[in-house]
Amino acid sequence: MTDKQYVKPGEYSVVDMLAVAAAREVQDGEVVFAGTGLPMLAIMLAQKVNAPNSKLIYEAGTIDSRGDSLPSSVGDPRCVTQASVASGLFDVFNQLQRGKVDLAYLGGAEIDKYGNVNTTAVGDYTSPSVRFPGSGGNPDINSLAKRTVFIMVQEKRRFKESVDYITSPGWMIRKWPEGTLAHRKDVYGKKFLGGPSAVITNMAVFRFDEEAGTIYVDTIHPGITREQLQENTGFELDFTRCKGETELPTYEELRILHENVDPEGIFLPARG
Amino acid sequence: MQDKRCTLQEAIQMINDNDMITFSGFVIWRRPMAAIYEMLRQGKKGLHLVEVNSGTHAELLIGAGAVSIWESCWIGHELYGKVPYCLDRKLKEGTIIAEDYSHQHMLYRMAAGAMGIPYMPTWASRGTDILNPEYDMLERAGLRNGANDKIPVKKFDYAQDPFYNEGEVIHVPAVRPNVCIVHAQQVGEEGTIRISGQTYSDEQAIKAADRVIVLAEEIVPESYLREEPERNLVPGYLVDAIVELPWAAHPTGAYGCYDVDGAFIREFASACKTEEGFRAWVDEWVYGVRDHDEYLDKLGFSRLEKLRANSYHKYSTKVKRGSR
Repeated sequence: MTDKQYVKPGEYSVVDMLAVAAAREVQDGEVVFAGTGLPMLAIMLAQKVNAPNSKLIYEAGTIDSRGDSLPSSVGDPRCVTQASVASGLFDVFNQLQRGKVDLAYLGGAEIDKYGNVNTTAVGDYTSPSVRFPGSGGNPDINSLAKRTVFIMVQEKRRFKESVDYITSPGWMIRKWPEGTLAHRKDVYGKKFLGGPSAVITNMAVFRFDEEAGTIYVDTIHPGITREQLQENTGFELDFTRCKGETELPTYEELRILHENVDPEGIFLPARG
Repeated sequence: MQDKRCTLQEAIQMINDNDMITFSGFVIWRRPMAAIYEMLRQGKKGLHLVEVNSGTHAELLIGAGAVSIWESCWIGHELYGKVPYCLDRKLKEGTIIAEDYSHQHMLYRMAAGAMGIPYMPTWASRGTDILNPEYDMLERAGLRNGANDKIPVKKFDYAQDPFYNEGEVIHVPAVRPNVCIVHAQQVGEEGTIRISGQTYSDEQAIKAADRVIVLAEEIVPESYLREEPERNLVPGYLVDAIVELPWAAHPTGAYGCYDVDGAFIREFASACKTEEGFRAWVDEWVYGVRDHDEYLDKLGFSRLEKLRANSYHKYSTKVKRGSR
């Protein structure tokens, strides 16, 4: 085993960093639930680098695919190639509810300091200023997977004190019908399985204090300052547990990502 | 044997204005697009669209003003256009009601419909604004009064688990569409449906509906499908009309037949940004052709041939997908 050879600044793109950092969240042997886009890059990279025995479920209904052509969406025939089972949504969402999913990757338009995510609408919900695609499986997966990892763009308007609409539940959530803010463990009771474990952005990796229910900075990507990170966040960041810089991608990870995972450049930008 | 074969025009005439409808497929895969185009040509309106998830086909119906209620969890075009401009525009105009559920909620609602039960319990999506009583949009519109038997009197309800004392369960109401329109790779003369690859939520959608229309790439002998019944999804007696229509899912993709026409969807999604753009697109691709054959002629042989799936891989190996 040779020492890891890390790339240097300027030798990787934001998407490279997101994919590599997300891939490292997978532990070997885990069952991972993934949607379209960056999650596909992350899990396929993890399967080739750090978690060769992880199993992949695509949201549209294929289980443990072993194809070598990157799907362009979860409904793609490429998801079926060498799959263990090609079934449908009823099967995979039942497995999720049964507690069989260890980790899932998700995205969002807005997130708050408790990890609540909005992918539905901005503004007044009953008369929205912008309508997004909607929840999809985000709230289900974030309810019923043991850990979820969010991959998002870091912008002040996206990292908010509170989101306009809670599409997907974080650590402090609304207990309906009263609408009072409560800890996720209290709302989910015996069916509490876990929750958001990391948020990976183009600037940093965040984690959660699961008891307090709040987000904190875990590592900051090389070249980004604390000030820049704070400027791009709409609430006061907790740096008290910051471990320093995010581990850079290695040459080997980037080679696999670009040559084996996405050689066609479907989600990865061309390397400059 | 009852012959269910008919033309697309005849099949679409089975849909009434104000019907509750649903479709096969997943976002941009195996959507019965030829049926959507024909619904627009026949001027269907007031539709109550209920789906596990929506895609390009739904944006088209919504943009054309054919839909008055949309209940689902997601609408977009995946990689080819993430913003549902038509739904956004209709919401701002106040000409559509959007009722949000989560994917699992919609799936279980459809499954309950298929199982003939009034609701289904689930643990999913607690703590979200989907359950915010203020955001029950059909209630706000006064439509949960029991007058329409397709609209449940509540968006959802809670109950304590009475058997294992596991806590508060969410009950989501069954969906019972008037019509489900399906795209399948193969259908038998009597209506037995065979779907290859992922089956998405087709089984639940088909079985929940009162009437089922199938557009198939090919109609094959029933005896052929009955050689391997384990590969079939739905028996023919649940199906009301079958139409043989190759490429009926274009521009969405069909496993083993053809890939998604990403460039076509991207152009459509982009046209949806403005009302004028949308109208021009529809005038060209829906009203500008008489029927499905003319649509295919307009697309052209070489475009379709590039999308055609390799018989081993089940997807096209000729489409350029990325930047390399």
